[in-house]
Amino acid sequence: MSNILVRMSEAVIEGDVDAVVGLTEQALNEGLSPKDILDNGLVSGMDHVGIEFKEGNMFIPEVLLSAKVMHASLDILGPLFAETGTRMVGKVIIGTTQGDLHDIGKNLVGMMMRGAGFEVFDLGTDVAADVFVEAVREKTPDIVGISALLTTTMAGMHDTIEALQEAGLRDQVKVMVGGAPVTSGFAQKIGADGYAPDAPTAVDMAKEFVSA
Amino acid sequence: MRVNYQTNNSTQFRILSDDQCKELYSAALQVLQHTGFEVHSKEALDLLSDNGASVKGDRAYIPASVVQRALDAAPKCFFVYGRQGDRSKSLDIRPNHVHYGLGAGCVSFQDPCTGKRREYHREDAATVARVADALPHIDFVQSLGTIGNIPQNLTDVYEFAEMTVNTSKPLVTYVHSMEILRVVHKIAVAAAGGEEEFIRHPNYLVLGSPASPLFEEPFAVERLFYCARHQIPYISTSAVTCGATSPVTMAGTLVQVMAEELAELVIEQLAVPGSPFLLGGVHSVMDMSTGILAYGAPEMSMLLAAQTEIARYLGLPYYSTAGCSDSKLVDEQAALEGAISILMAGLSGANMIHDVGYIEFGSTGSLQQTVMMDEVIGMVKHILAGIQVTPESMALDVIDRVGPGGQYLTDDHTLEHFKTEFWFPTLLDRKPWQAWEAAGAKSLGKRVQEKLNRIMDTHTCAPLKESTRETIDIILAEAEAKAGRA
Repeated sequence: MSNILVRMSEAVIEGDVDAVVGLTEQALNEGLSPKDILDNGLVSGMDHVGIEFKEGNMFIPEVLLSAKVMHASLDILGPLFAETGTRMVGKVIIGTTQGDLHDIGKNLVGMMMRGAGFEVFDLGTDVAADVFVEAVREKTPDIVGISALLTTTMAGMHDTIEALQEAGLRDQVKVMVGGAPVTSGFAQKIGADGYAPDAPTAVDMAKEFVSA
Repeated sequence: MRVNYQTNNSTQFRILSDDQCKELYSAALQVLQHTGFEVHSKEALDLLSDNGASVKGDRAYIPASVVQRALDAAPKCFFVYGRQGDRSKSLDIRPNHVHYGLGAGCVSFQDPCTGKRREYHREDAATVARVADALPHIDFVQSLGTIGNIPQNLTDVYEFAEMTVNTSKPLVTYVHSMEILRVVHKIAVAAAGGEEEFIRHPNYLVLGSPASPLFEEPFAVERLFYCARHQIPYISTSAVTCGATSPVTMAGTLVQVMAEELAELVIEQLAVPGSPFLLGGVHSVMDMSTGILAYGAPEMSMLLAAQTEIARYLGLPYYSTAGCSDSKLVDEQAALEGAISILMAGLSGANMIHDVGYIEFGSTGSLQQTVMMDEVIGMVKHILAGIQVTPESMALDVIDRVGPGGQYLTDDHTLEHFKTEFWFPTLLDRKPWQAWEAAGAKSLGKRVQEKLNRIMDTHTCAPLKESTRETIDIILAEAEAKAGRA
């Protein structure tokens, strides 16, 4: 593997935002493709971060810093992907259900998904079922992630899944749910494809969904 | 005669000095004035604006003088009674008076017979209340779960009704909607014996919360107004996760939660001055490996003890948290995390200490944990009582009477005092090896389960008046009809 890609993955692991911008430009100048930079530089760095995190050697704020490094590089690479029509790891839409203004968990999932190389569209909080449906139609994501903190707003997850069904879009996406009151039993009951108890698990599951 | 003699009538503990309390309070005032507090309610914003706050968009900038007026208006002490005005079960909410109780809202429940983790059902609310009713050191009751197998708009209602029937101790509830709160309040009024009786002898408290950081959701404001207008004691409980929804530093977290809860106090006291109000908290660190809010963390005990002291400095009562664990089982971890937090919260002098019986960082409710912690609370209360130093307790005459080489076992002084001077365990084992073996060589966990079984088999709560029960049944039938379930 080219030396520059090794240095890029080191920048991701070490959380060096300043370095990665220069390295990205240098890599492009050396003629490396955006896809090569993403897969063998950035994502390989994030894979290492993921392993260190699972072993308890790195912690959430450090993982988020690595994700930030990755975003800094993707700010440069993103437009090139669009030009060449290359897809990133996958496309995800996330949002908190209608009536729920809590978003820390959803934001954490979003940041970690981005860090894993997903293109993430965050619809924010208090998102109605039809807004999810419209976004799915427009963005054609691989995955829809719905979050809720309140037991009262959990019902919104079911509504969204039903609305996707009615719009004939249910088969095109995997629906993942999460949040403090959500259980795997509830996820099954409402017909979600997956339930993740925390952000790292959500990322792993998303990766499985897009590689399947 | 003795002069300038100081006595500690109970065990002493401080985590902050008065100067630190003052500094943290001043900082909270600055947050309210400079950063402001977002309120998603026109009614509340108008009220704030009419009373000296400056409002821009959804954000209210609240000056120190407005906060001071709210502090002056809030009651410094009040009582919450058992149902039907029962004074023997009342919570005496005034400085340094400590009460312990359960928590609510867990999505899973540890089956009280098998120990298996499962969904929480309506009959569990009855069992929880009945067991809590029997435990001597549990002073107030919550449901330890959220009923999972019925429509959501009935869960809090059934929990509250079952608790009202199965315990005569004061209740705390967390309601999920205004519709539910109105039904719950009807039940509470029935249990008190009418509207007027409820005002004189309130029998439950409502748990509310600002959203962190620094905003108030529309429902939270409505709930706050409803409590003020019906004189339901209100608990303002921020539940921040240090490093995620509040600053990573404990001092920064204290500043933010004080600002949030004081903003609720201001809104409530502007609505109805003199409404009973407690500051409160479930503040802890985010575990940076798993992202959970750690219920067994030392920082939780430190933060809550510190906020208790700030509350006392301001003359407000405090609602704290202890007796919980991050463990998935009621095991050694659950015992030590629960015990340390119960001691810390007790030492801090918090008025109501809740969540006794939480495991799995609040995701699972466990009566096994509650029963084990009841024993710990008994032990801690003995520590809190401190050492009485009087001529009688210093026993100079007795020491002289027994003399060198004598023994105290047969002395009257021993007989007279051993039952009050000593704490007697009911679950902890002090048996000699052979006796312990003969009794079945049981672990603490086994003995906890046996005690729990015994309570479930034998304890019944004093019955409600027949007419009250009928009224509650009618209220439930109405709520069911409304929820589309006859």
